[in-house]
Amino acid sequence: MRLLLVEDELDIQGFLRRSLEEAGYHVTATSNCVAAERAAVEETFDILIVDLGLPDGDGITLILRLRELGVRAPVLILSARRSVDDRVRGLEQGGDDYLTKPFALAELLARLRNLLKRNTPSTAESARLRVMDLELDLLRREATRAGQLLQLTQQEFVLLEYLCRNAGRVVTRTMILEAVWGMRFHPDTNVVDVHIYRLRGKVDGDSKQPLIRTMRGVGYVLKDR
Amino acid sequence: MSSKIAKTAFHSAAWRISLWATIAFALGTLAVFVFLHSFVAQDIQRRSDAWLSGEVEVLGDVAERTPKDALYGRVVGEVAELASREVPNRQAGSAALNDSVFFLQILPDGSPGIWVGQGDRNVYSQAIRVARAASEKPADVRVPGISIPYRVAADKSDDGSVIYLGLSERDELHVLRNLRLRFAALWAVLVFLGYAIVFSATRRMLGRVRDITQAASQIGHDDLSTRVPAAARNDEIGQLALTLNRMLDRIEQTVGQLHTITDSLAHDLRSPITAIRGRLEASLTTDDESDRDEAIISTIDLLDRLTEFLNTSLDVAEAKAGALRLHLAEIDIEELLRAMIDLYEPSMTDKGIHIVLRTAGPLCLLADAALMHRMIANLLDNELKHLRPASTVQVELQLQDTHAVLMLTDDGPGFEESLLAHLFERRIKGRESNGHGLGLAFVDAVARAHGGAATGSNRPDGGAQIQIALPVIASSIH
Repeated sequence: MRLLLVEDELDIQGFLRRSLEEAGYHVTATSNCVAAERAAVEETFDILIVDLGLPDGDGITLILRLRELGVRAPVLILSARRSVDDRVRGLEQGGDDYLTKPFALAELLARLRNLLKRNTPSTAESARLRVMDLELDLLRREATRAGQLLQLTQQEFVLLEYLCRNAGRVVTRTMILEAVWGMRFHPDTNVVDVHIYRLRGKVDGDSKQPLIRTMRGVGYVLKDR
Repeated sequence: MSSKIAKTAFHSAAWRISLWATIAFALGTLAVFVFLHSFVAQDIQRRSDAWLSGEVEVLGDVAERTPKDALYGRVVGEVAELASREVPNRQAGSAALNDSVFFLQILPDGSPGIWVGQGDRNVYSQAIRVARAASEKPADVRVPGISIPYRVAADKSDDGSVIYLGLSERDELHVLRNLRLRFAALWAVLVFLGYAIVFSATRRMLGRVRDITQAASQIGHDDLSTRVPAAARNDEIGQLALTLNRMLDRIEQTVGQLHTITDSLAHDLRSPITAIRGRLEASLTTDDESDRDEAIISTIDLLDRLTEFLNTSLDVAEAKAGALRLHLAEIDIEELLRAMIDLYEPSMTDKGIHIVLRTAGPLCLLADAALMHRMIANLLDNELKHLRPASTVQVELQLQDTHAVLMLTDDGPGFEESLLAHLFERRIKGRESNGHGLGLAFVDAVARAHGGAATGSNRPDGGAQIQIALPVIASSIH
C-alpha cells in the first residue's frame, strides 16, 4: 500500500513513518503543500495522511487542490485543534476521516484500514464471521464458541462483532465507544472496560484459550491465532 | 498651522454638511421670493392698468362732451391735471414735480393737441406712434430720454381725435426694487445665520464622534481599560459611545479570562508533566521489565487524562466567553440519555450502584450531540466516582414549559457544604475527589452554550441533586 504522509513536524513525521512502515505501508513523507502536490502528481497513492497546519498553506486547501488534480485516494486528516471545524466535517462526509492530536497509534492504523476498506469495493459481505473457534452469524445475530451458543445481549453482540472484524489488531476504548455506541469522547471512568469484562466472561468463561486480551495502556485485542 | 486647521475644517464632514444644507436653504428661499416678486409685480401692474383704463375713459367722455370752444383746452387740461393727482402707488415727495403722468390729445390730422405733462409733447407723440398704443388696454411706451417706460391707455373720440393717458412705471419699479433690496439683505443674513447654526451644530455633534475616535485609537496603545467619553444625552452618538464601551467591557473581560485560562493552564499542566517525567525517569532506572511496562502504561494513562483536561479546560473557557462552536442538530434527548445509561449501567452495577431512568417520552432538542454525550458522561462519571455501594441514582427527564429538565438525584453523601455556592466554577472539587475539578464547570458551560442552565443542591433528606434545563424545539411540545 502506497501512503503519502504530509506532516511538517519532523518528530511526528519520523515516528509515524516508522510505525506505518512497520505496519506494511510504503511511505512517502513530505512536509509542505508544494512537495505534497508534486509527489501526488508523480506517483499514485492508495491513501493519504494530511496534517492541517502546514508551513505553506492549509491542509484542507491542499486536499481540495489534490482532488482537483484527480487524486481519488481517501485522506486521513490530522488536526491539532481539539474542535473539528466544519470544513473537516464536510470532507468527512465526502468519505475521508479525521483524527485529533494526540492520538493512539492503534487508532490511526485502524482508521487507515477503514478508509482503505471503504474505498475498495468489497466482495459480497459474508453472513458469517469466524475467528478461531468463535463463530458469529450476522443474520441471526447469534454467536457460538466451540459450537456452544453464547447468551449475548444485542449490545454485546455488536461489540463482539466489532472485535471480530478487527481480530488480531488492537482497538482502543474510544474506537470501541465510537463504533458500538456512536459516541466520540474519552470517558473518565472504566465504562468501556466493564462492557469488555462482561463480554469476556461470556465468550471466554473459564476457557483455556481466552480470546479477548487486554493490551494495557492501549486497548483490547481479539486473538486470531 | 492655521492653514492646516483651515484645511482640515474644509475637509471636515461638518463643513460639507452645512455647505450643502445652506445651499439647499438659499435656493429654496430664493425660489419662494421669485414667485412672490412676480405675483406682487403683476398685482401692482393690474391695479395701475385698471386706473388708467378708467381714467382715460372719463377723460374721453369729458373731451367729447365739452364744447369745442376757446375754453375746451383749459377744461380738458384741468380735468386731466386733477386725474393725475389720483395716481395709484404714488411716491411721496414727487408731488411738486408731477412727471409721473401725462395727458396727450392727438388731433384727427395726427398733430398733437392738448398736452398736460412735463417735457416736449412732440417727443411723446412720436413715442406713442412708434409703440402703436391705440386702445383702452394699456401698453408700454418708451419715451426717448426717459429711462423708465410709461403705461399708456388710449381713448378714441367720435371726432377722430385720440386721447392718451400715460403713467410712469417709475413708482411701481421703485416699490419692486425696494422689495428686492430688503429681501436681499434679509436673505443674506438668514443664509449666513443658517449656515452658522448648521455648521456649529454639526461640528459639535461630530466633535463628539471625533472624541470617540480619539479614545478608541488610544485603546490598544495603552491598555484596554480606557473608555470612550460617555455622553450626557442619550441620542445616536450617546448610544454609539455606550455601545462602544459595552463592547470594550466585553473585550476586556474576554482578554482577562484568556489571561486567567493561560495562567491556570500553565499551573495545572505542571504537576501532571512532573508526574509523567518522574515515572519515565523511574522506568529508566528499574531492571524489572514488568515495573517498566507499568510505568509506561501509567504514563500513557496520565497523558490521556492530560489531553482530556486540556480539551475540557479550553471548552469551558470558550463556552464562558461565548465562543464555543456548536454543531447543532435535532436530537432526541431521551434516546441519547437511554444510550448513555446503557453504557454506564454495567459499571454502576459492578460498583453496587443502582441506576433508574424515568422519562415522560421523547423530547427533541437542537443541540450538539457530542457535547451532550460528554456532559451526561461527566455527570454519570461523577456519580460513579463519588457514590458508595448500595446507592441509587435517579435520572429523571421531564418537560417543564419550554424546557427539557434533566434531574440527577442520588442518596449519597451530597456536596460538601463549603462547595455548594461554587459548584459550577472551574477547579472546584471535593476533598476526596482526584479529578481535575472541571466536571461540573463543563456541565454548566454546555448547558449555557445551549441556552439552558444547570443548578445543584443537597436534598433535605440527604444526597445530591443536579438539575439541567435545556430549551426544547417548540414544535416538539404537544
